[in-house]
Amino acid sequence: MNSDILVIGAGIAGLQASLLLVEADRKVYLVDRTSMIGGNAIKFEEVFPNMECSTCMLAPKQQDILQNENIELLTLSTVESIEGQLGDFTAKVKVKTGYVSAIECIGCGACYEPCPVSVKNGFEENLADRKAIFVPCPGALPNIPVIDTENCVRFTKGEDCTLCQEACMFEAIDFTQEDKELSLKVGAVIVATGFDEYDVNDAEDLAYGEIDCVYTAMEFERLFASNGPTLGELTMRNGETPNKIAIVHCVGRDKVGYCSGICCMYSIKFARYIKHKIHDAEIFHFYTDLCIPGKLNEDFYRNTIDESISFINCENVKITKNGNGANVAYSLTGKSESLSVDMVILVPAITARSDSAALAETLGIECDSMGFFASKTDMLAPVVTSREGIYVAGCAEGPKDIAACVTQAGAAVGKALSETATDSVQTE
Amino acid sequence: MSDEAYKIGVYVCECGPNIADAVDIDRVIEVISTHPDVAVVKRHRLLCSVDGKDFLKQDIIDEGLTHVVVAACSPKDHEATFAGVCEEAGLNPYLYQLINIREQCAWMIKDKEAATDKTISYIRSGISRVFYHVPLEQKEIDSIPDVIVIGGGIAGIEAALSLASPVRKVHLVEKTDSLGGTAVELSGLLAHQGTNADIIHEKIRTARQNENIEIHLESEVTKSIGFFGNFEIEIKKGGDEIIELNVGAIIIATGFSMFNPAEDDRWGYGKIDNVFTALEIEKKAVTGEITLADGSAPKSAALVHCVGRDEVGYCSGICCNYLIRIAGNLKEKYPDIKINHLYRDLCVPNKNDQSYIENLREKGVEFNRTNDVTIAKGNGGIDVTYTAESGEKESLAVDMAILAPAMKPGVDTQTISKMLDITLDKTGFFEEEHLCLGPVGTAVDGVFIVGCAHGPKNIPDSIVQSHAASGSILSRLIPGRKLLPEIKVSEVLEVLCTGCQTCVTVCSYGAASFDEDKGVSVINEAICRGCGNCVGSCPSGAVRSKHFTTRQLHQEVIEAIINPALNE
Repeated sequence: MNSDILVIGAGIAGLQASLLLVEADRKVYLVDRTSMIGGNAIKFEEVFPNMECSTCMLAPKQQDILQNENIELLTLSTVESIEGQLGDFTAKVKVKTGYVSAIECIGCGACYEPCPVSVKNGFEENLADRKAIFVPCPGALPNIPVIDTENCVRFTKGEDCTLCQEACMFEAIDFTQEDKELSLKVGAVIVATGFDEYDVNDAEDLAYGEIDCVYTAMEFERLFASNGPTLGELTMRNGETPNKIAIVHCVGRDKVGYCSGICCMYSIKFARYIKHKIHDAEIFHFYTDLCIPGKLNEDFYRNTIDESISFINCENVKITKNGNGANVAYSLTGKSESLSVDMVILVPAITARSDSAALAETLGIECDSMGFFASKTDMLAPVVTSREGIYVAGCAEGPKDIAACVTQAGAAVGKALSETATDSVQTE
Repeated sequence: MSDEAYKIGVYVCECGPNIADAVDIDRVIEVISTHPDVAVVKRHRLLCSVDGKDFLKQDIIDEGLTHVVVAACSPKDHEATFAGVCEEAGLNPYLYQLINIREQCAWMIKDKEAATDKTISYIRSGISRVFYHVPLEQKEIDSIPDVIVIGGGIAGIEAALSLASPVRKVHLVEKTDSLGGTAVELSGLLAHQGTNADIIHEKIRTARQNENIEIHLESEVTKSIGFFGNFEIEIKKGGDEIIELNVGAIIIATGFSMFNPAEDDRWGYGKIDNVFTALEIEKKAVTGEITLADGSAPKSAALVHCVGRDEVGYCSGICCNYLIRIAGNLKEKYPDIKINHLYRDLCVPNKNDQSYIENLREKGVEFNRTNDVTIAKGNGGIDVTYTAESGEKESLAVDMAILAPAMKPGVDTQTISKMLDITLDKTGFFEEEHLCLGPVGTAVDGVFIVGCAHGPKNIPDSIVQSHAASGSILSRLIPGRKLLPEIKVSEVLEVLCTGCQTCVTVCSYGAASFDEDKGVSVINEAICRGCGNCVGSCPSGAVRSKHFTTRQLHQEVIEAIINPALNE
């Protein structure tokens, strides 16, 4: 019985699971497909319901992950196959090289400036640019830049550009590094690959991409983030600061067929964000149902709203251009109404990742009808998947807030520990 | 201040050009070398590198250093790294201090001379501080792997099942005469929620048959003293028998109570016939049929959501889900029944709820949004009046009303919180350790809260919480393994203690207590987390932190205030 554990995904659920597993003296392989740890939670400046600074909250966890000898962190890595069974899995992991040595690099950032290639930064929701050698954001951990082979001219054009290498005083950049394929022997697997969001480009009548004052929730998170493209200032694409802001809930809800359960809470959080920076802003929430279960969440709502924040229960929201801003048309008890605003924030449904079907096949587990990794709810075991020895935690299982992700991570660890226990490992 | 027994070594890291270009390290070394307590000052290109660490380790040994100051980057980066090097060199890692001259000097002061002045000042502070460091050792305490679960409902049973093993006994304590809590009263009406009475009964059976689970019925925990790894528990059984036992962790799974709709006349509960709570409907379904009081079949029903929501101040999160399923079951039983939901907001975050609702609408079930419902006796039935979204007052004549009352804290939460020294939050439910990162822990390490004891939730979520608490226990409370308590804890200097007990009051972890015989406070090092609240609040200065003593901090600060330029 192999007692090592593979954790796929280094977001909050994966981090939490890894740290609990090493407390039990297990060896953990923590795989993430990006070059950094922190998943989506690290993109938020603050989290509800206590408006705690997200990076401050996660930083000690990230430090622990990076410094723990029993955690082997594999970034830029993906799981290609998992053979075997509980207690005896062989996971093939492809580790893409970033061409920067983690031992030499101290994260000084001297390599960015000379790079001739500038592209949109996906982490910043394309609101800012980055170079082909980059870290996704200031403060990203591990603080080791990687070379994006899809944009670096050495790879796209075969040019012998060595500008970043020349700028590095620690000889950390090595173009001869190669991708690796590892064969990991583990006893159990925890899948914590997170979520995607409904593509608002598919939303009819919401003018995303047509009007530049329309933003997605994630774009707005990055605008407010102090390490984001505007260093936390709520300055729009047109350079203006908005005064009247519409927040449109439930975008894509009817298409996906379920309520994502967390968006009303973070929309209220957004109202707090806005009031923090623009004291006299007027905020209009357009929503179908206010979904704020939880013992402290109604308080969060009541302590946020004031005369400048309206919650409008309506249907048929339509956004059109209106000068420099937008017009929000909606129907309220059968009557048509409209409102003009400076900025629109679209709050989309939480969906399974676009690659979850492929990953499910790789892992040999089932998805539910919404594309999330299915848990065996008939046995009341939400973290257990259809394949013995493989557990799921966090938004990979379905939309949920951070507390619920952390809870599921703990539950998955409990299952993994008890089902891979051996006499020598002294757990059960 | 000079002392022969002290040999302090100072190491300045260049961090490549990061520090070397921004700070005049030559001048730093020149000045620090004149410090009377410093035996050796050296520089290195990159101390965190492999050869940097080797160099540091060898130098500590060769020079016979007693204390080490490293001037480099942020402690967040490498405090642990160099502590490890000290240990490998045979030096207690608490006799070392890392000074941040990168983020706090080189990276923020453009003027090289000013950056160098600050660097010198910081290093001198570090030297002054480390002079007063003492070696600290990691203690070990024995731990008991057994667990006590308070509450024999579904969450408690699940916790017990997930923990019990030949090397870990679980005591399941239930105050009534049977297991199952509230969940066992659910008939299977709510099969779609993933729960079914059979499954719960199966779990109860499995728990009873598990020889590693000892079930104490008609029992209550009356005393608990101790800390994670070793709690001394007293159980009172049947009112007179006392059982004492020792466990390593405690899981509270004491469930919830329900808002009583009789508190307000507007719901007509207890006054008007055929006004039921959802739980009463469940119980009817167990015995066979959902009928009116006179035994006849209902031809119409009003399902009233959010009963008591304003009074408790939160949404219980499960009621919309179960009310729609009650509606579905009623429709199945009585296809022509007219059903109206009266709700404020539909809280249906579970994956299949929305499609279920659409299905109900197709069957003619109506959903009316309202903030304001009144139930009164009507002509031969019940009159339900409500204010519709349009603002108009509407009225429904129905045969029965089914109320979904808010979930409230269990009746014993106050008693248990006092007994275990854990807090309740403003809603009266047990307070979790951290809203995001510690949802099933409490401020007392080793005491967990799961299920509805923590807050309103459905059965699958309660079960996940039970498993999460198990996960924590399985990873940290390992049979045969010693626990390693916090090293940098607080301690009481008895000679200075006046017995005012301020520290006892301010301690959030229950680590400080009062020794009646000696008349002084005592700090339990196994519980203390080293937060320092007691240190700051002690009016006599009797409490001190082991690694943040007043003297260490004073010397560090005093040195920082002195302008280094004046000392050259």
